[in-house]
Amino acid sequence: MTGHPDPGMPETGEGRCLCGAVSYAWRRAPHWASHCHCESCRRATSSVMASFFAIATGHWDWNGAAPKEFESSPGVRRTFCDTCGSPVSFSADHYPGETHFYAGTMARPEDYRASYHVHDDERLPWMIPGDGLTRVARHEDYDHT
Amino acid sequence: MSAAVKGRCLCGDVAFEWSGAPVWRGHCHCESCRRATSAPMTSFVCVRDEDLRWTGAAPAVYASSPGVERLFCGACGSPMGYRSEKRPGETDLYACSLTKPEDYEPAFHVFYAEKLGWLHIADDLPKHEGGGG
Repeated sequence: MTGHPDPGMPETGEGRCLCGAVSYAWRRAPHWASHCHCESCRRATSSVMASFFAIATGHWDWNGAAPKEFESSPGVRRTFCDTCGSPVSFSADHYPGETHFYAGTMARPEDYRASYHVHDDERLPWMIPGDGLTRVARHEDYDHT
Repeated sequence: MSAAVKGRCLCGDVAFEWSGAPVWRGHCHCESCRRATSAPMTSFVCVRDEDLRWTGAAPAVYASSPGVERLFCGACGSPMGYRSEKRPGETDLYACSLTKPEDYEPAFHVFYAEKLGWLHIADDLPKHEGGGG
């Protein structure tokens, strides 16, 4: 996806799973970041929302072991650490040229900045965001200008 | 709650059900749970082992620290549970692996001192700096 406003995250950074077997580093600022409330992301994390940031292909690398890949639906690839289970990344044919990482894996998760909430129509009723960010049903519904 | 409450991982290989009243229900902000789920916080429902039945494939187990087991689906990676020797006979399940997570009724936040600064939830639940209790 292009044309997103810079969410204001660091230009470089690292992340890892709980046990540390899987780790990665990025070398270009994430070009978008948002909280996803869809059921698949909730089940993948077993948590109320998944907070993603997107890094362009070619600007990040695995540092440790590569994670295990699971195709959650056709053309959608989710990865996790085979040792400890931490979800690590999401990529999909309908998001070409980028990989999405979970904020919870960041070495410095306090540096995460999201611009909006997505799949708000699937948000659970007991999760009421108090952050004032825009909530949309689809990524395309967010004003990316 | 006499009817069984059911849950499952993303791919459905690991599934569980329980009957009876949960021991507690709450949101956890600790770093370890954040890393286990890769989410900004996670939400637990603690049940007694005698009330719990795993109905699909057995979850994979990772010993995240001495006496602590974290359960996950070996096929899709979904976090499936937390067990600690400090609380024998109990398993913490994740609210968002329930078949109907909308029915979950959280009662408090724990380890609020570790909450990420950018996470804001508009609720008036009690917020415990540590493990509560």
